[in-house]
Amino acid sequence: MTDVLPTGQEDWQRLDRRMLLVHPIKEVGRFFPALIGVFIAGSQTGGDGPWFEIVGVALPIAYGVLRFYTTRYRIADGRIELRRGLLTKHVLSTQLDRVRTVDLTSSPIHRILGLTTVRIGTGTASTKGEDQLDLDSLPTAGAQQLRYQLLHAAGTSGERADASAPLVARTVVRFDPSWLRFAPLTSAGLVSFAAIAGVTSQILNGVGFFDQGHDIPGLKAALWLTVTVGIVLGLASVSALAIVGYLLTNWDFSLTHTSTDGSWHLRRGLLTTRETSMDDGRVRGVAVGEPLGLRLGRGARLSAIVTGLDKKQQGTTLLVPPAPRQVVDRVAAEVIGTTTPLEAVLTSHGPAAIRRRWIRALALPLLLLVGIGALIVFDDASAWWLLLPLLGVAVGAGLAVDRARSLGHALVDGWLVVRSGSLVRRRELLQTDGVIGWNLRSTYFQRRVGLTTLVATTAGGSQSYAALDVPEARAIEVARLAQPQLIEQFLG
Amino acid sequence: MLREPAERVSPRARWMWTLGAVIRSLVLGGLVGAWVVAGDGPVAVLIVVLVVLVGYVIVMPQWRFRVHRWEATQTAVYTQTGWWAREQRIAPMSRIQTVDYVEGPVARLFGLASVTVTTASAAGALAIEGLDKDRARVLTDELTTRADSVAGDAT
Repeated sequence: MTDVLPTGQEDWQRLDRRMLLVHPIKEVGRFFPALIGVFIAGSQTGGDGPWFEIVGVALPIAYGVLRFYTTRYRIADGRIELRRGLLTKHVLSTQLDRVRTVDLTSSPIHRILGLTTVRIGTGTASTKGEDQLDLDSLPTAGAQQLRYQLLHAAGTSGERADASAPLVARTVVRFDPSWLRFAPLTSAGLVSFAAIAGVTSQILNGVGFFDQGHDIPGLKAALWLTVTVGIVLGLASVSALAIVGYLLTNWDFSLTHTSTDGSWHLRRGLLTTRETSMDDGRVRGVAVGEPLGLRLGRGARLSAIVTGLDKKQQGTTLLVPPAPRQVVDRVAAEVIGTTTPLEAVLTSHGPAAIRRRWIRALALPLLLLVGIGALIVFDDASAWWLLLPLLGVAVGAGLAVDRARSLGHALVDGWLVVRSGSLVRRRELLQTDGVIGWNLRSTYFQRRVGLTTLVATTAGGSQSYAALDVPEARAIEVARLAQPQLIEQFLG
Repeated sequence: MLREPAERVSPRARWMWTLGAVIRSLVLGGLVGAWVVAGDGPVAVLIVVLVVLVGYVIVMPQWRFRVHRWEATQTAVYTQTGWWAREQRIAPMSRIQTVDYVEGPVARLFGLASVTVTTASAAGALAIEGLDKDRARVLTDELTTRADSVAGDAT
């Protein structure tokens, strides 16, 4: 595998010289709180001259410079090695064929200098920063070349080993400004709406808006006007913020596929640009996120289930930011190479599962209703309090209907499709070849009504994909059809 | 229908679970008791909590013992655990990454050990608790050799 790499890569290499400019600035920034302390201390002691300040600024700069001179990397013998540290020496080394993803990130400073940070994803379970394979930074062109080499070596099949083949990149999907309409509909946007509603009602409560009694007609009307204008302004500003956030992360978004090395490349970002590449052979499926807000706007988002990358690295596996459903479906079909699981009609989980959705959604509000009802009858509380549990019941009923409708699964053509949830509804499509175990979970209540939760475990994404409350016989049938040799020996 | 795994865990596991339950109950009961005595909490709460805890100590280990089962074939490992909530896990031998043998402090008192089989998925570990020490050792060796003999990188 090493022979595909150009020669001359065997030597230890430094990061780009221009990092001598970036590191010290960053270090000064990091030491900033300490620096302020130093300056204050310096000004108070007085008379001693500016030594404190000089040392305070010089130390971080020296640290930044040393960081540059102590960091080296090389690609040799089918391994990539990263050496760093002055007092504590770290040597990080990993096999090239363990490389799952390569991330190129450029902050505004990096972009001005023409630099890019390379993060090499190997699917390590370690979350310690020092175990990350980060090369900060390389010249942009060099970084792209390195990425090509890394993913090339990571390719599992032999035909990809042709290094001289030109990179044929095909753009699968590109940013469309009309997608901005989905920004306020994302979960973050909706949470802000809720927060505004909460704050508004708090303020109104504070000024006695809900109180009866002092009913001066003009005051009430003025209050109503203020409230309406306030809510409209609030919604407008939240929407604007959401749109700005969406623009910052997703501007110039594009997803391309290079067939020569079989990998996906995602590029996005307004100020900080980010490029992620993942190897085709590691993709085990896709997850379509359809939170309530996006669904109302006929939108969705898409991410890939990549082995070796877990939930914490989910950001690196995003395929399409909030965008129209058709776009998401088209990209999903391209990534998994088939449309069958996307078009599959999901099997409903039956009446018992639907009943459970209702019980779970209504139990708490109903209990609250009874409790408050008792308070009103026996303790003379205001009947207005009933509004709270009644609202809860209404919301719960809505959730139950939606959750019951969402619930479904399908097994088609070697793909397992599961869907559940309402506020954050997800449809997950997982290759049955990528399933590395089955869990059947059931509580006493579930067993009593013959239901079980079927969990397919996998090495990527959120590690497990569950079909909630499936009739037990059906759950076992699904597992058996997916992996007959494994399951049949335990049937009795 | 899925049948239950063939083998039971050691009957001594019941005592191990009982001891664990007793310790947990003493802590929880002690906290509630202290609250009732010192803070003038309602005595009824203490009585209810104590009844529930005693029931837990008596029922849980027996129930658990009836549920906990395991089986290792040439091609797969199959476990069943839990009591109120039950969980059956099946993992193919070809996807096993590590086999752990652990003697916990409580388990050691009863000459027991547990064997945990992990796969490349964080959600897929199969734990067999309360095995007889010697049985657990043999099982660990068996599983290690069987998992080794199957090719693949287990993802």
